[in-house]
Parts: sequence; structure tokens; C-alpha cells
Amino acid sequence: MFKITFRSPRPGLAVKLLIAASIPFFISCYGIKSSKGGGQLGRHMTRNPQAADVLLAPGYKIDLVTKGLTYPTACTFDDKGELYVIEGGYSYGESWTRPALIRISQNGDQKVIASGSDNGPWTGVDFYEGHFYIAEGGSKAGGKILKIAPSGKIDTLIANLPSGGDHHTNGPVVRNGFIYFSLGAATNSGVVGPDNAHYGWLKRKPTFHDIPCQDIILAGVNFDSEHALDKSAGSVTTGAYSPYGKPSAPNQRISGSIPCTGAVMRISVGGTKPEVVAWGYRNPFGLRFSPDGNLFVTENAYDERGSRPIWGAGDILWQVKPGTWYGFPDFSGDMLLAGDIEFKAPGSPMVQSVLKEHPNKPPKPAAILEVHSSSSGFDFANAAFGFAGEAFIAQFGDMAPDVGKTLAPVGFKLVRVDPASGVIRDFAINKGKRNGPASALGNGGLERPVSVKFNEAGDELYVVDFGIVQMSKKGPHPQEKTGVIWKITKTQP
Amino acid sequence: MNRKTLLITFVLAGFLTACAMRRSEPAKQKMFEPATSQIANGEKIFMAKCQKCHPGGEAGLGIGLNPVPAPKFLKRFQIRHGLGVMPAFKKEEITRQELHDITSYMSAWKHY
Ligand code: HEC
Repeated sequence: MFKITFRSPRPGLAVKLLIAASIPFFISCYGIKSSKGGGQLGRHMTRNPQAADVLLAPGYKIDLVTKGLTYPTACTFDDKGELYVIEGGYSYGESWTRPALIRISQNGDQKVIASGSDNGPWTGVDFYEGHFYIAEGGSKAGGKILKIAPSGKIDTLIANLPSGGDHHTNGPVVRNGFIYFSLGAATNSGVVGPDNAHYGWLKRKPTFHDIPCQDIILAGVNFDSEHALDKSAGSVTTGAYSPYGKPSAPNQRISGSIPCTGAVMRISVGGTKPEVVAWGYRNPFGLRFSPDGNLFVTENAYDERGSRPIWGAGDILWQVKPGTWYGFPDFSGDMLLAGDIEFKAPGSPMVQSVLKEHPNKPPKPAAILEVHSSSSGFDFANAAFGFAGEAFIAQFGDMAPDVGKTLAPVGFKLVRVDPASGVIRDFAINKGKRNGPASALGNGGLERPVSVKFNEAGDELYVVDFGIVQMSKKGPHPQEKTGVIWKITKTQP
Repeated sequence: MNRKTLLITFVLAGFLTACAMRRSEPAKQKMFEPATSQIANGEKIFMAKCQKCHPGGEAGLGIGLNPVPAPKFLKRFQIRHGLGVMPAFKKEEITRQELHDITSYMSAWKHY
């Protein structure tokens, strides 16, 4: 315990007062504070976007490009520099709409070029040699990579990617004849649990679970939970990389197979056979090549939920080193979860490793972002915009209380990150006494930025803002037609 | 005002300014330039170890640090020994010099 000793036998008044004044600094109040996530504080379900409510780093301005989009997730440009956006067609909260590729004209008008089925979310889009390439999340029928002609004709390049769980098929970026894409993990931390029933998919896919890219050996750690689908069934025991209700055994081998979950993969532009670029990610959402040609991803980190909750895990910006394992489900960045108090959720036991051996020690992250910030789509700046070489990252914002408790809204803004030093600075935030989405602050600023994209010249930064998703104990409540696109430029050339 | 009331007022004022403590380049309309290499190093370590729970010193998973009026030595004590659910950072993870760099950065950030 804390003990104070004095050098002089009779401390003076100032010393006594200083000690008295210090006492509040040793009182923990985390336990009694309630969760104040950005989606929990919102009361406004409609949106009136106002550029004047967004604050930027000095020397930049922001304008509204278009509004009224439903669950937009990404934008890109064709070879003539015209702007296209995709509407995702799915939001957490089990809300399905029609995913679509939409052209946005100079005056903000929207024209649908192609639309898909209820297998969203379409999570990303890239334009390469005359075609659009889109990652279809696969919430109902498995993930896909689509190729769409400017005429609207859709070809499916690859289908049945195993992404019907918590996270989806993400990406893509097309580079030198290869389409790079990623699959998020099926679960929060490798174990199917009641949180997956709460999310909705466990009812649809009761045997779905994570799939490693290579053979792994389990430690045999199992997790008990009340049966989430059948209350009369009592308690069930589940192991890692196993279907719900199936225990694992020590030294049990799980065979790797491709396509796998929690991985970055690629196919050639003409091909259909995926190969693994790197694996062991939780949800690698954003993918981009840096100006010097290295692939980077943003990883959405573990939540404090389910049978194996993890506390204090920050989202990560990684440089992707081909062939490397990135630590899921036993590391956060390059830190081992097991036995570390930093990752122990209050009220839950210390985390144990579920893998008996780890393929390699994960590398050092390029940057560690805020816990629950949902650091998502990003792009690299060049000299035309300023901050050349830095990654501009859209932070969708927390989904508390589903993901755990947070003492204040986290994310809901744009940050810029120097991948060499790991230093993170806010770039675009909302006006107001505190941080949060416009719907919580009661203004017209940013809601949930989900991705960004520089134009070809690099002097305009487009921000895709997903729109309102509020949170309650029942889960997420997304609002259709509240998505917008913003454009950020320098005030002086 | 005698010295006693002055001290008490000072401490209370620290608690009351809590929510007016947003700190960032967009909020301040001013870029943050670390004045010394110690502050620059402190910022890097803060980013690697603290930012995830105390974003820009504001509240997040953890509590807000910008409004905390505690002197540097007390902050260093809290960081070394942990507090409530806040993890303790031992010497193997953050050296004595790094700890001083972090608190230099924290006060430079708070007052910029
Ligand atoms: C995993 C999350 C987490 C990390 C990482 C973390 N903190 Fe904290 N910190 C907290 C929480 C939560 C509290 C509040 C503790 C409580 O009340 O129980 C806190 C409290 C504090 C306090 C006490 C404030 C007061 O006077 O009440 C200081 C100072 C502090 N943190 C500094 C740091 C520094 C510096 C680092 C990096 C070296 C750091 N923290 C890393 C979560 C974290």
C-alpha cells in the first residue's frame, strides 16, 4: 500500500495540505462511472450537416459534397477524376438495404451505376484499368470480390469467402495486377460466444467459427457460457477455433485452410485463387499502399465482450510484412495478452493464451490508436496536401456499450498518424466542449467517418461519413439516409 | 486570502475546469511543436503506451489527464504504481528517464 514518510519530524502546513490535496488522486472511480459512448449519448436521429461545425488543423477547410446516403463506406475516382461512392447495404444492427455504386456529380447529384443483393456490406472500392473492384462483406452468403464495369455490369471474381461472422470481407486495393483484400475474424477473440448471438449471426450460422491460414496447436483452454440460442439447454463449453458448444483439447491441431479469417489475401486481376499475404489479424478493415509502395492495414482490436473479453486493446496501424503472423487471438500489437493486467477486463479473469505455440512474435505496430475508436479507412498524404507520408485515418467511433465501457466518446473524427514515429494528432474534430458525434453534441458536424480518399493530384481529401448509428443495451440503431461525403482542402495553395 | 485558502482554491479550481480541457491542433487552432527533444521523446512514448486510453490527454477508455492538477512527481508515482484499473508501468517497460520525458510532454501538451 501507499505509505508516506517525512524527513522532518513535524511537517509544515504546506506539506500537510499537499498530502491532503493528493488523496483524491489515489481514489479510483472507474468502477462507479457509467459508460458514455458516442452512440449512447446521441438524442438526434436526423441530420443537418454543417461544415462550420467541424474544426480542422490550421490551414484547411471542409465542405459538404453530398448528403442523404444510406450506410456509405468508401469512395474512389475513375480515370476521368469523377467521384464514386458505395453504399454498404448493411449496417450493424442487422439492417439490410441495397448496396450500390453511385456516381456523384460536381453539384452533388447522385446516380446509381450498379446495385447488389442483401449480402452486404460493400466495404470498399478501388478503380483499376477501367473497372471498379468492390469487396462484398458477405453477411448472408459469404464474402465476394466484385468487378464492375462503368456500364454497371457486375462480375463475381471470387465468392464464398468465410466472412459471415462479426466482421466482413474488406478492401480491396488493386496494385500491379493484384487485388488485395482482407477478411475479419469471425469472433472477438477466437471463441464463439453469447455476444455472437446478440450480434445476430449465430442464429443464422450456428456452426461458424474462425479458420486459421496455417495449422495451429491449441492450448485447450475452454469457455463456459449459458446457451445463447436455447435457454433450456443450460451451460455450454466452447474452445477456440471451434463451433459454439464444442470444447477444445490440449494439443489439438486445427488445420489451416485458405481462404481463412483474420487475414490479408490477394488474387491476381484475372484469377480466382486466393493466396495469403499475412495473417493473425482481428479485423483488418482499411488497406492502402504507402507512397513508397508498402502495404498498410488498420486493425480494429478486441472488445470487452463475449466469453473471452479483452480490455485495453488499442486499434493498430500495421505495415504488412508478407508471410507474417500478427498475433490474433493471443497478442495486442506486439504485447502478449496472457497474464498482463493491462488486458484483463474488470470483473473477468486474467486472459490466457488459446494457442500453444505462436507462429512468430508479432512485429512492432506503426501506431497504436485509441481503444474502441474503430480506426477504419485511411489514405496517405502527399506534398500537395501537406503532412506528406502521414496516414489520415477515419475513426468511426465507439460502439459502447456493446464493445465495453468507455468514459467518454472515442473516435468520431479524423486523425493523422506518422507511421515512422507512431505519433497521432487530431486533424478534423467536431466543435464543442467535448468529443463526440454530431448527434450527441447536437450540431451538424462529423458523425461516423468510415474512410477517406485523396484525389489523384492529392490536394483534396474526401471523407466518407457513414451517418448516425446510435447504441442502446439492445444493440446498434443505424439511421438510413444520414450518410454524407465531405471534402477537405488547403485554404492556401 | 491566506495561504491555506489559496491552496484549497487552487486544488478545487483544478477539478472544476475538467471539461474545458480539450487539447488538439484543431481545438487550439495552433500546431503543437515539441520545444525540446525530451518533450518530443515523451510524446512518442505517450503515443505507444498511453494514447490508447487517454487520447490527447482527453478521456476515453481511461479518464481525462489534461485537467488533472497533480504535480509531475505524483503523476510519475501513479504511472509506476497504477491506480484502480489503470495498469502500473514498471521499470522494464518505461525507464526512469522515459517517465520524466512523458510527464514533460504531458505538461507541455497541457499548456500549449
Ligand atoms: C489500458 C488503459 C490505460 C493505459 C494504457 C494507461 N492508462 Fe492511465 N488510467 C486509465 C484509467 C482507466 C484510469 C482511471 C483509474 C481509476 O480511476 O480506476 C487512469 C488514470 C491515470 C492517471 C491518474 C489521474 C488522476 O489523477 O486521477 C494518470 C496520471 C494516468 N492514468 C496516466 C497514464 C500514463 C502517463 C499512461 C502511459 C504511460 C497511462 N496512463 C496508460 C487507463 C489507462
